Amino acid sequence: MSGWRNDPKRELWLAWYAMIAFYNIFVIVFFFMTHAQPPPYPFWSDGQVVHWFNGNHNALLIGFGIVFATAALTLPANALIAYSMRRMSVSRAFAYCYLVIYSLSALPGMLLLCVVLSVGAMRPDRDPAQLHWLYDFAFLSYVGTMGIFLIGSLVWMLAILLDKNRVLPKWFGYLNLCNALTEVVVSPAWIFHQGVLDWNGLISWWINMVVFGIYTSAFMMLLRQMIQREDFGDGPLPDLPKTPKAPRAKAKVTALTGTGTGTPR
Amino acid sequence: MTGMAPAPQPETDAPKPAGHIPGQPDMWVLVLFEALVFTAYFAVYLFHRSASSELFLRSQADLNPWLGTLDTVLLLTSSMFMLRCVQAARAGAVRTAMTNVCLTAALGVAFLASKITEWILLTRDGHGFTSNEFFLYYFFLTGIHLLHLLIGFITLGVIIYQLRNPKRRSQEIVETCATYWHTVDLLWILIFSLLYVVR
Repeated sequence: MSGWRNDPKRELWLAWYAMIAFYNIFVIVFFFMTHAQPPPYPFWSDGQVVHWFNGNHNALLIGFGIVFATAALTLPANALIAYSMRRMSVSRAFAYCYLVIYSLSALPGMLLLCVVLSVGAMRPDRDPAQLHWLYDFAFLSYVGTMGIFLIGSLVWMLAILLDKNRVLPKWFGYLNLCNALTEVVVSPAWIFHQGVLDWNGLISWWINMVVFGIYTSAFMMLLRQMIQREDFGDGPLPDLPKTPKAPRAKAKVTALTGTGTGTPR
Repeated sequence: MTGMAPAPQPETDAPKPAGHIPGQPDMWVLVLFEALVFTAYFAVYLFHRSASSELFLRSQADLNPWLGTLDTVLLLTSSMFMLRCVQAARAGAVRTAMTNVCLTAALGVAFLASKITEWILLTRDGHGFTSNEFFLYYFFLTGIHLLHLLIGFITLGVIIYQLRNPKRRSQEIVETCATYWHTVDLLWILIFSLLYVVR
């Protein structure tokens, strides 16, 4: 307990665990509870949309209730990413830009969908045309505004490529560019009602989501390593010590005593 | 701080042994990843093409193969000049390298102009982004490629920036940017083959 209290990295670890918690809640609520992801079809008729709202009535209200209660977990997550840029040898402007972009993007890019679909689910006896309007509004605001996030990715990319402190590897900088380029592909969702570029199309949603999944997993792993490597200096971040190939029993003892890394106990 | 390895030395641009990967190895992550993403796009295109091959063949006939061939020649030649730029930079012939990178940029601009002209001509003939499934893929693939080309111009700017000052010149960065330019070229060859050539 005292180890945790005296750990100078505890705030960083809290932010990292908040990020992990948020993404887990996001996946559970959006993919498994409310079925808002993958998004249902944009070409559905009024009747099909009403049926979708009725079928997911409780899940939408409870699921998005959970999101409203926990959405603030994105703030420490974004703060940790901004921290990575503050630790770099680049201007602080990068971190501030990223924070502002992602804080604002969360409104159309996530919360608006939750609010609008909750409004639809709250009174299922509404006029079907009105429910359809809410349905279109929710998914267009969510999927159609994904492009806003691409500027954030480019800001992070630029910071990583210019950095001399080796906070994050250069390949992740380039992966940011790949992620940004697939975010661009989502924008035709405003034009198409069906096909590969509609809001749940093979190209605009499915391929994009695979890239985003790889990108997100990569930055979670890299931010964890960054915290482990953090020395609170302002020069290059030291590398993690290379663990010698030890017999299994020895490695187990090391893991149990918690020595060798900066992970919290 | 305890248990940490000593802080690494600042990055240097020391000559690499023969047979090394050109540029930053990290750039190859982007090359590989973009290749995978475009493979997925091509797979989706080919799947839908096989489902309505008659429509695709009919629409494909409305493309101007000579403009497509011209685009390919422009980009392949630009890649040749880029190669000469890298070789000249390696040999320390900065002036030659600068000439070659400028020629690369000029051919890139010519490609851009040719592509925009082709889009205008197609739109005048009534073929838009939403006309049919073939033209959806045509405008999507050529559009996303053009976006890659525009980023390529930034990398050419980085090369010029590097070459202009001997103090900051880094052969590794020059090669990294060249790798990106060649990737744009490679992607175009695949797009050209799929959209214009494959029947």
